[in-house]
Amino acid sequence: MPANWGYVIAAYGIAAVALFGYWRHLARRARALTARPRAAVPQRTTPRTTS
Amino acid sequence: MTYARRAWIVLQKDLLIERRSKEQTNALLFFCLLLLFLFQFALGPDRERLTAALPGLLWLGFILAGLLGLGRSFLAERENDCWEGLRLTPGDKSAIYLGKLAGNCVLMAAVEVVLVVLFGVFYDVDLWTPAAPLALVLALGTLGLASVGTLFAAMTSQARARELLFPVLLLPVQVPVLLATVSATQALLLGQPLADVAHWLKLLAGADCVYVTIGVLTFEFVLEG
Amino acid sequence: MITRVLGWLAALGLLAGLAAGFGYAPPEAVQGNVQRIMYLHVPSILTAYLAFGLVLIGSIAYLATRRPRWDRLASASAELGVLFTAVTIVSGSIWGKPTWGTWWTWDARLTSTAILLLVYVGYLMLRGLVDDREARGRYAAVVGILATVNIPIVHFSVKWWRALHQPSTILGPEPSPIDPAIGLALFVNWLAFTLLFAYFLSRRIEIARLEES
Repeated sequence: MPANWGYVIAAYGIAAVALFGYWRHLARRARALTARPRAAVPQRTTPRTTS
Repeated sequence: MTYARRAWIVLQKDLLIERRSKEQTNALLFFCLLLLFLFQFALGPDRERLTAALPGLLWLGFILAGLLGLGRSFLAERENDCWEGLRLTPGDKSAIYLGKLAGNCVLMAAVEVVLVVLFGVFYDVDLWTPAAPLALVLALGTLGLASVGTLFAAMTSQARARELLFPVLLLPVQVPVLLATVSATQALLLGQPLADVAHWLKLLAGADCVYVTIGVLTFEFVLEG
Repeated sequence: MITRVLGWLAALGLLAGLAAGFGYAPPEAVQGNVQRIMYLHVPSILTAYLAFGLVLIGSIAYLATRRPRWDRLASASAELGVLFTAVTIVSGSIWGKPTWGTWWTWDARLTSTAILLLVYVGYLMLRGLVDDREARGRYAAVVGILATVNIPIVHFSVKWWRALHQPSTILGPEPSPIDPAIGLALFVNWLAFTLLFAYFLSRRIEIARLEES
């Protein structure tokens, strides 16, 4: 039975990158939202309003 | 006005619009003809390969035509600002859903009949012998496709990029219907009796019940607001 | 505050999970060391199931009460469910290469997991393409309910579809007497992933709340 450590490292590495990347993404969004005063947060444009 | 009558009026209205304009039917039928040619070109002249792939191609055709047809089911309301009218209809909104669903089933059935006949003629397959069980599979599959399609079309008609969103939303949900209908069609075309595909028919019937129930229960939430 | 505690607990849990998975648990008898991917793969899919369960709860509760917090729960859970399902599929694929000799096979469980991923990606796309917040919540809730109810239908259809072509021998039964050490390592990792999920969920909901205000 070969060790296959390469596969194990690849699996854990990709998972770590994905989870850490998501964590950073969340942190950045949270910082962007709290840093600015609320009034300055740009309103989302609504091209079509449902009527 | 009774519940059934309100559903009937919605169906009648849609059928009348379609009969007057013939927008969708003509375009869809032409689209089906084009599909036949495309399948032929994609698979080449080898007859055996074509017959082997036939059930899949047939349902691929229905689904592609369904995506075009179903996706438009609330466009008339949207473009003519009648959405408000639907919303203000008194009483249970699910009647509107059932009416729309019936209209879509009629449209799909028309397209399917033509496509099946064209398949039989162009690819020289005997679709006549298993016609009755095949019709059952077609009916169950169409109901499954149309029930979710009608519900999703109502939502995506209010969204941006709806032409893209509708298939992206509908196709993954419809995988069971596709698998069941293709497998059942394949077995029937090979001459197997209906009993051999009973489990697929049960799955389809169960899925149809679930989809229609969810559609009836949740349609009012889609329409309001 | 609770979020921060959850974050540290999750980090500790993940470290403990790594230690349990690589230090404590022995290499598996048949597959050897590559089986250690299981400590990532199985907790990840369990977390994804938890997330999709919360999508259903949030969706029903939103339609019933119309409180935006339920919508935020559903949307945050769906996003995390997609993330963990993706991790599951990728890790499973990497596990499959040395054990089955192929990255991907149209096995029943693989196929239905992939369909699950696609359905919820569609859910997230719908959320992104409806601008009105209230309508977005209602539409997403309807799709969330339908998607969850659809899971058993997908499961059976895919299972029977595969049964027609080949018996699903590839995902054969696990060696039945699981080494207790392997079981414990799995449990520690599952706990760590659940904590990580709770931490992500809490942060994601907070961000959604800030965005809406």
